[in-house]
Amino acid sequence: MIEINDLQKVYGKKVALSINRLNIREKEFVGLVGNNGAGKTTMLSLILDLIEPTKGFVKSKGMMVSESDDWKNYTGSYLNEGFLIPFLTPFEFLEFIGNLHGKNRAEVTNFLKENNSFFTEEVSSKKYNRELSAGNKNKLGILASFLPEPEILILDEPFSNLDPSSQSWLKSKLKKLNEEGVTILISSHDLKHVTEICSRILLLENGTIIKDTNTNTETLVELENYFNV
Amino acid sequence: MFKIVIICGRQPLTSINMINLLIHHWKEKQRSPFWQKSIALNIILGILCLYLLLNVLALSFFADKIIQETYKGRDVVETFTGLLFYYFSFDLVIRFLFQQLPTLSIQPYLTLPIKKSKLLHYPLIKSGSSFFNIVAILILLPFFIKVVCATHSFPFCFAWIVALFSFIIANNYLNFLLKKYFAKRPLLILLLLAFVGLFIFFDIAKIVSCSSYFSAILIYLANTPFLIIIPVALAALTYYLAYFLLKKNSYVEDKLTDKRRNADSFLFLKRFGEIGDLVHIEIKMILRNKRPKSLLYFSLIFLAYGFMFYKKQNLDNYLLLSFVGVLMTAMFALNHGQFMFAWESSFFDSFMTKKISPYNYVKSKYLFFTVLCLLSFIVSLPYALISYKIGIINVSLLLYNVGVSSFILIFFGTYNSTRIDLGKSQFMNYQGIGATQFLLILPIMGIPVLVYLLFNLFDIPQYSFYVLGILGIIGIAFNKYLLQLVTDQFIKRKYKMAYGFRQK
Repeated sequence: MIEINDLQKVYGKKVALSINRLNIREKEFVGLVGNNGAGKTTMLSLILDLIEPTKGFVKSKGMMVSESDDWKNYTGSYLNEGFLIPFLTPFEFLEFIGNLHGKNRAEVTNFLKENNSFFTEEVSSKKYNRELSAGNKNKLGILASFLPEPEILILDEPFSNLDPSSQSWLKSKLKKLNEEGVTILISSHDLKHVTEICSRILLLENGTIIKDTNTNTETLVELENYFNV
Repeated sequence: MFKIVIICGRQPLTSINMINLLIHHWKEKQRSPFWQKSIALNIILGILCLYLLLNVLALSFFADKIIQETYKGRDVVETFTGLLFYYFSFDLVIRFLFQQLPTLSIQPYLTLPIKKSKLLHYPLIKSGSSFFNIVAILILLPFFIKVVCATHSFPFCFAWIVALFSFIIANNYLNFLLKKYFAKRPLLILLLLAFVGLFIFFDIAKIVSCSSYFSAILIYLANTPFLIIIPVALAALTYYLAYFLLKKNSYVEDKLTDKRRNADSFLFLKRFGEIGDLVHIEIKMILRNKRPKSLLYFSLIFLAYGFMFYKKQNLDNYLLLSFVGVLMTAMFALNHGQFMFAWESSFFDSFMTKKISPYNYVKSKYLFFTVLCLLSFIVSLPYALISYKIGIINVSLLLYNVGVSSFILIFFGTYNSTRIDLGKSQFMNYQGIGATQFLLILPIMGIPVLVYLLFNLFDIPQYSFYVLGILGIIGIAFNKYLLQLVTDQFIKRKYKMAYGFRQK
């Protein structure tokens, strides 16, 4: 599904990311862990063609992400606030994204209703996105990434700023999507979450993948040992 | 007893002084990416300011000569004081329009052990060093030293200067109050302007001579020095009113307006699919954000410049007509379009990962540019009443703008990668303005000049407009090809733009 080949991103003299080969297969649920500055966001940004690789390439369904826009049709993503349009209301924003994927207003309203236990801000809200709390911004961005019914889902720290019930909602939602066949790539600082839901874990350190393993009962302990100082 | 000790014990904590805040303010300015990126622009602005100040200085220094020439036989000091009435009225209006209140973003400090009053006094005191106050002092001081001190007693001089300085201070803080009260009531601003205008009119028409009253009062004050307590008290009063106003507004609160947000306007755009949606977003962006909105208001004011140029004696100056014509038929479009993709800077990443084809994105920009051109053309249409010539010329220049300027603007717009803060006003705001803007305007204005020069060689400059119109029609006819061309350029530049837009 996603194929990374000899990928490198260098800022000045610092190598932010260097991945020789990585293949994310269809229906995999990959968790990306690593300390701050390990290169998680850089890797996600490269997959989303937001930054230009210094070397190498990323392919999505066999097509280079930097040369074809096809991946945008089936990829849902949310990295940070910059993905929200600040002066729209949440509903207008979702409607805009829905329209891009051929969904009409009724479908978007329906979608919001289905997920109303997650995003509680009312549909008729007069608030603009820029006025939402950090948690609600995060929720809105995540919902917007679900809306196009993507085949690939890429989320940067989706659990941050979320209240406990939203976290557990999101966990089961992601699991369900994955069971329905969605390929998922998330980064997280919460080791319990990732080991609980992900089928494969990538551990990044200083821009390189130092551990690539399928999740089993020992993974959590191993990771905790790595991160303990 | 205990309480007192505790309070004393906390004292060192609260004694972070103004100097610290001043340093933070300086760092905020100096470390803003805008300052760091456009040093050249700031130097130019600095030189302009210096030039202005020198003029003011000279004016004040030679004020006595000027007054003797213009108002023969009148007392120089008295006349000068009277003229200051105009100055203070004018000063207040200009301050209201242009003076920005130095606000250190107060939020991070509110929970720190710093006395709140200090945080509030700081911006007030800091505003004392504003450019407008420097101008005021430069207007007063040379005249004061050269004329007033030379001819009057010490108590008179002292009272005169203290009273006038008090007026400057009062104006400074009065502006603060006016801004807070009137900022959201544009009708009242007009009323205020009318009020000031009325006084000046009364004065000129010699119905009620405000300036001579002003002068008489001040001279009386200066002759009875203990009365200077009145202007000093006035200055102090405005300061404290401003202080209390600020205090009332210092709570970090979610100020949600109950205004209905008309989400369903412009629904007809839906019919145009993705491009319609993108144009819709751009319209909402303008309506809901201060910077793009105020920029369009400014454009409306600039359109009035036509009255300055479209005069009988200029109607055969084809170079001028083409210059002004290009501006008149694209005023909104050029002003708004100069930032092109930077308008999306705060959510550019979103656009880059969503299912939006770059071609459609660029095309939506082109269509919106065209709409704005049409709008400027329609608003400036009444100028054709001055001469039918203006009408014909502007039609061909409209074609030129839609068919040529648009593509130039979009093409060079990809070189603008400075983030724009949508929430700031356009007044004296140079964020996002740089070398790109000069790059943009050069070819847009240059092509008409070249065509004019060419036709002038053959002594038929009046035909140059037809050529510009034809160029425009060619551009419109080949718009698909040209759009593809600028889209390719956009794709080439998108990483650089996205990187620039992420820098806050």
